[in-house]
Amino acid sequence: MPIYTSIDRIDAIEKVKGKALYAGDYSMDGMVFAVLVRSQRPHAKIKSIRIDKALELHGVIKILSHGDIPGNPFFGVIKKDQPLLAKDIVRYIGEPILIVIAESEKKAREAAKLIDIEYEDMEIITDPYKSMGSSTLIHEKGNLLSHRKVIKGDVEKGFKESDVVIERQYKTTWLDHAYLETEAGFGYPDDKGRIVVVSSTQNVHYKRKEISRILNIPEEKVRIIQATTGGGFGGKLDLTVEGYIGLAVYHTKRPVLMRYTREESFLSNTKRHPLYINYKTGATKDGKIKAIKVDIIGDTGPYISYGETVCLRAAIHATGPYEIPNVHVDSRMFYTNNPISGAMRGFGVPQIAFAHESQMDLMANEIKIDPLQIRFLNGLRRGSLTATSQLLEASVGYLDTLKAIEPYWIGRIKKDGRGFGLGSMFYGMGNTGISNPSYGILSISEDGKILLYTGACEIGQGSDTVFVQILCETLEIDRNDILLIRADTDFTKDAGSTSASRQTYISGRAVYNAAVEMRKFLENEGFYKNRDLKSIVKKYRDKGFPVFEGFFDPPTTPLDPNTSKGVPYATYAYATHMTEVEVDTITGYTNVIKVHAAHDVGKAINVNNIKGQIYGGIAMGIGFALMEEFIPGKTLSFDNYYIPTSMDMPEIETFILEDEEPTGPFGAKGVGEPALIPQAASIINAIADATGVRVYELPCDIERLKGRL
Amino acid sequence: MKKKQKERLIKLNINNKEYSVLVEDRDTLLEVLRDKLMLTGTKDACGMGECGACTVLLNGKPVLSCIILALEARGKKINTIEGLTEEGTLTDLQKAFIEYGAIQCGYCTPGMLMSATALLNTKIEPTRDEIKKAIEGNICRCTGYNKIIDAIEAVRDRRVKDKNDR
Repeated sequence: MPIYTSIDRIDAIEKVKGKALYAGDYSMDGMVFAVLVRSQRPHAKIKSIRIDKALELHGVIKILSHGDIPGNPFFGVIKKDQPLLAKDIVRYIGEPILIVIAESEKKAREAAKLIDIEYEDMEIITDPYKSMGSSTLIHEKGNLLSHRKVIKGDVEKGFKESDVVIERQYKTTWLDHAYLETEAGFGYPDDKGRIVVVSSTQNVHYKRKEISRILNIPEEKVRIIQATTGGGFGGKLDLTVEGYIGLAVYHTKRPVLMRYTREESFLSNTKRHPLYINYKTGATKDGKIKAIKVDIIGDTGPYISYGETVCLRAAIHATGPYEIPNVHVDSRMFYTNNPISGAMRGFGVPQIAFAHESQMDLMANEIKIDPLQIRFLNGLRRGSLTATSQLLEASVGYLDTLKAIEPYWIGRIKKDGRGFGLGSMFYGMGNTGISNPSYGILSISEDGKILLYTGACEIGQGSDTVFVQILCETLEIDRNDILLIRADTDFTKDAGSTSASRQTYISGRAVYNAAVEMRKFLENEGFYKNRDLKSIVKKYRDKGFPVFEGFFDPPTTPLDPNTSKGVPYATYAYATHMTEVEVDTITGYTNVIKVHAAHDVGKAINVNNIKGQIYGGIAMGIGFALMEEFIPGKTLSFDNYYIPTSMDMPEIETFILEDEEPTGPFGAKGVGEPALIPQAASIINAIADATGVRVYELPCDIERLKGRL
Repeated sequence: MKKKQKERLIKLNINNKEYSVLVEDRDTLLEVLRDKLMLTGTKDACGMGECGACTVLLNGKPVLSCIILALEARGKKINTIEGLTEEGTLTDLQKAFIEYGAIQCGYCTPGMLMSATALLNTKIEPTRDEIKKAIEGNICRCTGYNKIIDAIEAVRDRRVKDKNDR
């Protein structure tokens, strides 16, 4: 049976042959190339722009500016605040100002270098603390983007009931998604005069809406198709190349290719938010946590992107996977002239997990209780109330993750220079406190194939394969009987974005619901009594093939604006990682030796895919903990942005636990972000165990650790 | 005024086929493969020789095609991802990458496969550490590498076994 086993990825053969078409692989007769001219200043008025030399260059076709945008010149996932092309003011280094279109990519880049822009520098806001008191406003409405609170119980009372109170400050920095494929897209006018964009993306339907607004043409005049996508991790949720390609096709009526260089990708993609976290924990001497007070300050850069989402999600997850009776969290995001921070795998939760898991170990150490024991004592379970006072009724496998790790934790043998650390997390599936539905549509083709139309973008995480497995299981058919039509706005309904670990859970359930309807039909038609699909479909040739639509929207409630009370997520994933490290006390080098990773995934639909997510999450967590740091104005290549290589990887043992989620397909939840979230915290706790030195700022790279040893 | 770059017709041997192609002196092998010969299986991810996505084989050795000139590849045997599959049959490494789940987004996969192919062609029984070392220059952001290493190890073991059985 296909579920609970690991069928091979359905896109694997094309990928190993080098035949899978990524956006930058497309070409068409008459194709032209578009590149962006970007701001070299973090905050400045544009005084003048001279393009004459560039226009004289042979092969240059057009140079487009703010004034060439026929519709709304602003875009944004949550609010339309980001100029597609800067008009009078630039607010970060790398902000797009002009589009140069030429017959070749080389020519376009050459021309871009010939453009002279004169700036008048303005005061630069370089961190959120400067931002909050500054009279220099990045936007007229002020420098505070968002302030969210999570309030439960009475924290003052909670701290009074505590025997020990621990308060520490934590800081994280900018991270880059560093997907191997940089942002890329290919657009063309079709024979009906519509604008088609094929791009590397995590959400086609949202991007169609944006292009329609930007060009002031109806949505049906725009078609977005997802190309094979070389990684996303949140960075391809925002509009990237698509708006520029749409505008270039609109003005040239020719096919247009645009792809960012690695330098452009570093300059322009939204970063993981640097968070400054003040975390105060109170507990009784027997290890019960009575209260937490958490103050989160975030650097969101000059535009919103997903800043509000990260602000709220970090606050809701500030407790970690623990039931704490008294909670007060203030989470604020401030505008700066640093890179735009936005969505990156975990939306603020990896940062806050670093803080809450450090606090757990500090507390355990202070009251002399085992770190696993204190987690067990406070861990969420059935019947627990979260910080938003949500009653957890089903699929609460946190304690199971601890139980899975327990034998290895108890049996650990500490060698010289080595140490062990735990990291735990919980993570809400899907968008926060808002409707985020998905659809799956099934039909049968004339030649007897089951057609699945899904709007969900496959970005490497494996959703295509999961949907095929769900169909195989529900309909009792072979994978070769299924044709999957994916993420094309002409053929699929909006599945929401591939983010928030939501596609297996939400789109998977929608596909399952469609399959249940189709199964009833097939039963009536005698499919399960040996009638084949081809003959079944024959009689529908005249009246139209049957179509089955599945829908799922996880049950959530809006949150109280003052306390965040409510049901932000229908369900949560849970995980615990135990990490062993070896620290060279002379060089400050940390070697991650082994990770035991336990995850409650609800139900494992593809074990191999889940392990792949966990391994990849651990790699990213190692980067977050030990080496990755984007430095504005400095980081332009992999030369000074280190991401883990094969040499940095530990041995990994996974424990896949299944506390079934009643609303998920076969009980499944998501694992994409949970795989990453606890990893950095467990490394930092292991370093503290190995060296006695606790680090409060990430990355804990060689220089930083050496300085502390 | 910049002088127009001189173009010249050169011959390249790619996957045992002769190609004649007009190149400028400054064209990298990657640009010629992707943009002039439409062999887009080889990927461009950094353009500076830092990530391994553009790895091809030159006389059997893995090289970064984004930092060598097409002119330098004249008279040498070039192998790209498109040449691995002969008449539709996947190599043992390609099959193992699928079987072991060594692929996610797939963008590093062509370069990774070329590095692994070169390793196992030159070394019969590399250790796990030697395998890790051989793909150290190939960055992957999705998989965490372990399944890629497992896949290469599995092929090594099968090949050794086949040889011993013979």
